[in-house]
Amino acid sequence: MARITLETLRHSYVEKPGSDVDWALASLDLEWTDGGAYALLGPSGCGKTTLLNIISGLLRPTEGRVLFDGTDVTDKDPVDRHVAQVFQFPVVYDTMSVFDNLAFPLRNRGVAEPAVRERVTEVARMLELDGLLARRASGLSADGKQKISLGRGLVRSDVNVVMFDEPLTVIDPHLKWVLRSKLKEVHQRFGNTMIYVTHDQTEALTFADQVVVMLGGRVVQIGTPVDLFEAPRHTFVGHFIGSPGMNILPCAVDAGKVVFDGETVALDSPPRAVPAGTLELGVRPEFVRFAPDGIAVEVVKVDDLGRHQVVEVRRGAHAIKLIAAEGEAIPSERPRIAFDPRRARVYADGWMVEGGASR
Amino acid sequence: MRRLKWLVPTLYVVFLMLPIYWLLNMSFKTTNEILGGFSLWPTEFTLDNYRKIFTDSTWYTGYLNSLTYVVINTVISVTAALPAAYAFSRYRFLGDKHLFFWLLTNRMAPPAVFALPFFQLYSAIGLFDTHIAVALAHCLFNIPLAVWILEGFMSSVPKELDETAYVDGYSFPKFFVKIFLPTITAGVGVAAFFCFMFSWVELLLAKTLTSVDAKPIAATMTRTASTSGYELGLLAAAGTLTIVPGAFVIYFVRNYIAKGFALGRV
Repeated sequence: MARITLETLRHSYVEKPGSDVDWALASLDLEWTDGGAYALLGPSGCGKTTLLNIISGLLRPTEGRVLFDGTDVTDKDPVDRHVAQVFQFPVVYDTMSVFDNLAFPLRNRGVAEPAVRERVTEVARMLELDGLLARRASGLSADGKQKISLGRGLVRSDVNVVMFDEPLTVIDPHLKWVLRSKLKEVHQRFGNTMIYVTHDQTEALTFADQVVVMLGGRVVQIGTPVDLFEAPRHTFVGHFIGSPGMNILPCAVDAGKVVFDGETVALDSPPRAVPAGTLELGVRPEFVRFAPDGIAVEVVKVDDLGRHQVVEVRRGAHAIKLIAAEGEAIPSERPRIAFDPRRARVYADGWMVEGGASR
Repeated sequence: MRRLKWLVPTLYVVFLMLPIYWLLNMSFKTTNEILGGFSLWPTEFTLDNYRKIFTDSTWYTGYLNSLTYVVINTVISVTAALPAAYAFSRYRFLGDKHLFFWLLTNRMAPPAVFALPFFQLYSAIGLFDTHIAVALAHCLFNIPLAVWILEGFMSSVPKELDETAYVDGYSFPKFFVKIFLPTITAGVGVAAFFCFMFSWVELLLAKTLTSVDAKPIAATMTRTASTSGYELGLLAAAGTLTIVPGAFVIYFVRNYIAKGFALGRV
């Protein structure tokens, strides 16, 4: 186990990268603390897999360094880095039995056979593979094969980091839930550093202590699930995390006042100066409510989701979503809404304006 | 109508098997009987033709020569094609697609085109009339074919298999031999089969590049037809024996070939 530091990491798949779009990873400085459970969240093509492959050593970064516990491993092969990686699609060694598949990483490190047996049995029991150990791996279903892949990732207890690259994509929904809690359990029991790549926010938020959100080869925010929810640092985070995502509305800042569509929006601490760039007001549906003295809107539709209702309202051309409690009456006569002054934030070119809002 | 549905396939099989049956039929007849008239099966059943082939060295060395250069060629082709196919399937490099296509164009010319240059070249460097000469000449066609087939099989193996093996602590050579090759045995089988087949049936280059020491069986057969009169029974027996190795090899790879077709590479 180790602390992993990435220093000014950049990577490009193009021979001579020129413009910004050539960079799959555009300058990353990150530190993964020892024993943390991280989720790496972002849309497809944002560089998540590239980042994992750089940490495991399958890719050499174009620029920057990778450090394990302060030691530079940038030029080391995957073999010498002592990492485990599980990919999106099942990878099994077809010619070997399930047992041999699971034992493979251990045997390669010269672990004694009794210890191999003990460890493999333990991991197999955890993943409910114990009945299949003698079977040939090639005959298993996709689920079973992916469990082998997961098992191979977890079988060594001395790895620096275990990385999962969307490991549950091919797994049945009900089993997904089970395996995710298993992974969490493994993490609590052995305390490995784990990095879990996903584009599913539920997966990320349930698995991780810390969520790293990436967009276009950059890290836009690192924080606990609560941080990401309450204080998204980028409109992308606000939009990507939460269901429905954050409302993002054009706004203007004038003499310390935030104005949305001609109406002044009260914020606890609005930006002191007028920030440069395109200004937007971000507020989560959870922090919008009906208020008699608010902004006049019209109700477009109400979705009753049981525990709460998602109400879509309109203000001119702008759609705003808000969440109303179960059974709350939706005003039909000239509804007005208000934003929670502590939770609404101003964003300039997508990024939260510092000091613009405080908790 | 439904009771007759066996008819078409049966007719088809009969149609396909007829020449083979006729060859077999002739091989058990004496030459006189063959020339004498029409008979559906041998009236004077004889094994003399086969006996002659297995005892007369001018005959059986033909088989040995053919098998020798075919096996050498198959081994060289597959061995050379494995790393090449791996490179084409796993790496992107300058002109990779063009080169891959160009490999195929090599097969577009008839072998006769290359008969003269090979003949002259091998005569000049003293390779004429050796097994290796024919084996190397056939590589010109077989290596591209093997690369093409193997590339298809290799590309159907996800890259993550390689990566997992590296992360799990295997070096590249170890991975290639112990994990990758066993995973693509089917592909190696199909590639070897096609190399074997091509080399086995190719006559023109084999005949041009040999005279005595490495003369292939097919050449022996044509010679017999012209010198000591018509030994039709003997020729039929030789023909029957020539079919055997191919049939034997195809039996082993029949399941793999279907997979090769599915990958679009056969």
